[in-house]
Amino acid sequence: MKLIIGWLYPTLMNIYGDRGNIIALQKRCEWREIQTEVIKLDVGFTENELEKCDILLMGGAQDKQQEAVSKDLFKKAKALQAMIEKNIPGLYICGAYQFLGKYYKEANGNIINCLGIFDLYTENPGENAKRLIGNAVFENKKFGKVIGFENHGGRTHLGKNIALFGKVVKGFGNNGLDQTEGAIYKNSFGTYLHGPILPKNPILTDYLISKALEIKYNQQIILKKLNDNLEQRARLAIAKRLSVGI
Amino acid sequence: MNFLILLLGKSLSKLSKILNLGHGSTWPGHIALRLNPAFIDQVLKKSKTKVILVTGTNGKTTTAKLLQTIFEENSKKVFLNSSGANLLNGIASSIILGSNLKGNLSFDYAIFEVDENTLPQITETLEPDFIIALNLFRDQLDRYGEINTIARKWKNSYQKLHKTQFILNADDPQIAYLGNNLDSKVYYFGLNDKKFEYTTQQHAADSILCPKCGTKLTYEAFYFSHLGKWKCDNCKLGRPIPSLENFEYYPLLGTYAIYDTLAAVLTAQTLGINSGQITAALKTFKPAFGRQEIMEIDGKKVQLFLSKNPTSFNESLRTINESKAKNLLIVLNDRIPDGTDVSWIWDIDFETLIDKNTKLYLTGDRVYDLALRIKYSGIPISDEKIFEKLEEAILKGLTETNNDEVFYILPTYSAMLETRKILTGKKIL
Repeated sequence: MKLIIGWLYPTLMNIYGDRGNIIALQKRCEWREIQTEVIKLDVGFTENELEKCDILLMGGAQDKQQEAVSKDLFKKAKALQAMIEKNIPGLYICGAYQFLGKYYKEANGNIINCLGIFDLYTENPGENAKRLIGNAVFENKKFGKVIGFENHGGRTHLGKNIALFGKVVKGFGNNGLDQTEGAIYKNSFGTYLHGPILPKNPILTDYLISKALEIKYNQQIILKKLNDNLEQRARLAIAKRLSVGI
Repeated sequence: MNFLILLLGKSLSKLSKILNLGHGSTWPGHIALRLNPAFIDQVLKKSKTKVILVTGTNGKTTTAKLLQTIFEENSKKVFLNSSGANLLNGIASSIILGSNLKGNLSFDYAIFEVDENTLPQITETLEPDFIIALNLFRDQLDRYGEINTIARKWKNSYQKLHKTQFILNADDPQIAYLGNNLDSKVYYFGLNDKKFEYTTQQHAADSILCPKCGTKLTYEAFYFSHLGKWKCDNCKLGRPIPSLENFEYYPLLGTYAIYDTLAAVLTAQTLGINSGQITAALKTFKPAFGRQEIMEIDGKKVQLFLSKNPTSFNESLRTINESKAKNLLIVLNDRIPDGTDVSWIWDIDFETLIDKNTKLYLTGDRVYDLALRIKYSGIPISDEKIFEKLEEAILKGLTETNNDEVFYILPTYSAMLETRKILTGKKIL
C-alpha cells in the first residue's frame, strides 16, 4: 500500500514546526511497511498534483507569507473543496484552519475573504488584546486528550454547520471563551494546536492514516500496533505538568 | 539629579553584591530610569564614548565579545552590558557602574547587546554611533512575534537615525533591505566563499520572500538558513555588494561565527583599526559564556554550544559533526528565556546532522519531546540515554568520554546557564 501525502505550501506555511506532522505520518507508515510519497504543493501547483493526494496537510505562517498563499490558493479553491467534500482526510493548522473558514477580520476592521469551506469565521481583536499562547489540551471522544501548543491572535467562532474538534481542557481553544477547540468537517480537521500535533497524538495520526487508506483502497484497514512508549511518556510528562489526567 | 541617581545606583549595586543577591545587574538601572527617563541619553551625550549597538537573533554576545577583544587589545577602554542584561534597565545599570559620580564615562566605546524587540525602544532614547544588525531568524515566536513585524519596526527606527552608521549583513535579505534609503552611512558584510556554500535550503529557513515586493527570492547559493546570494527576479532588489567578504583569521568554528567575525572586523576597520591589529587581537579571543566555550573537567574537555533556535541548532550540529563528535548531550528546556514553545525542534535537520557514531544523551525540561523528535528522525535512542535530571546526564556523558575526546553539550539558554553552574561546581553534583 502507498499513501500520497500532499503538503500544502511547505516553504511558506511551515512556521511552527508543522513539518513534524509530515514526519510523523511518514514514519508511522514506514514502520508498518506502508510506502509514502510527499508531494510539495508550493505556490503554482496544479490541480492535477492536488488530486493525486490521499491526505492533505497545511500549516500556519506569518502574515506576509499568508498573503502570498492566499492569492495562489484562491485559484484552486474549487479543487480543494471537492477533495474535502469527497472525504479526503486533511489536517489544517492555525493559519490554514482560519483560511478554510468564511472570513478573517483584521484588527482594523478590514475583512479578508477566506475559502468558505468550513462554517466558521475568525476575528483579530487587535494588538492590545493578548495572543493566546501556551501548552494546550483538548478532549475528543475518539482521540482522547489531544496535546499541543497554541499561539494565535485570531479568535475563531464556529457556525451551526460544523462540529468542534474537541472541548478545551487546558488552554484557550478557538476563542478563549466558549471552550471549543478546532473544527471537524467530514474527514478534515482544523485546529490551533501546534506542538507539532501529530507526533504526540499517535491515535490521531493513525486515524488519519487508516482513513486515507480506507478511502483510497475502499477496504477496511487495521493498522499494525506500534510501540508508543516514548509517545506515551512525552504525553504524560506534559499532562502531569498541566495537572491533566490522561 | 543624575548625581543622586548615580550615587544611589552605585550603592545599590554594592549592597546587592554584599548581600549576595546576584549581580544586581538591572535594578539600579530600573530605579535610575524611573527617576529620570532621559538618564541614559544625558550621560552618553556628555561623554566622548562611542556607542555601538549589536542586534539580531543570533550572535549578539559573540560579536560584542569579538569587538571588545579587538578594542581592548588595541588599548581602548570598553564597557558593555554583560550577563545578558540586554534591556534598557541593564544598559542604565552598566552606565551607573561605568561612570563616576559626575556622570563622566571614561570609556572609548560602549557596546550594548540589544534584543530584537527592544531596539526601537533604545533608539528612541539614544542615537548610537553604530548599529550592527546581524540577522533575523525565527526565534521564540511566543515571545518576540513574527520576524516580518520586527523588520518593519526596525526599518521605522533606522529611518529616524541620521548620524548613526550601520553595519549590515548583505546575505540576510531582511537585514540588507534595512540599508535602503537611509540618510546615514551603511557598510555591508557578507560571505563569498565556495567552501561554505550549499545549493539546497535547510528546513529552518524562513525569510525567503522579497522584503520589498513579497515575491519568492531566488538564490545562487545558501550559506545557512536563508542567508546567501539572493536576488528578487520581480523587483530586481538584490544582495548589496559587501565591503568585507572574508578575513585572514577566524577565532571560532562554524559559518555563523564567521559572520559574527566579519561584522566585528568591519566595524573595527571602519573605526580605523587595521587588519594586522585586528588579527593580533583576535588571536587572544576567548569565547563568551557557553558560546563554543571550552572547559576542562577532570582532565576531560567539555565544549558548550548554546543553541537557541532551529538555525543556531543546525549550525551547532553541523560544526559539532564536522569535529567528528563521539559524545553529544542535548539539553532542551522550555522556560521563558528558551521560549515556552518547543515545536521548533521539528525544524532542526537531525536526520542529516547527527552521525551514527555519535553517542547521544538527552535531557532537559522537555526531554521526552526531544527524544520523540530523535526517534522520528530515525536515530535509535534507548531509554538509558534519556535523563530527567541534568546532573545525571552530564555525569553519564563525562564518564563515557575518553580523555582524548571532547564531550559536546548543546543546550538552550536556561539549560546553558544550569549546565555551566554544574560544570563550574557552583551547583553540587
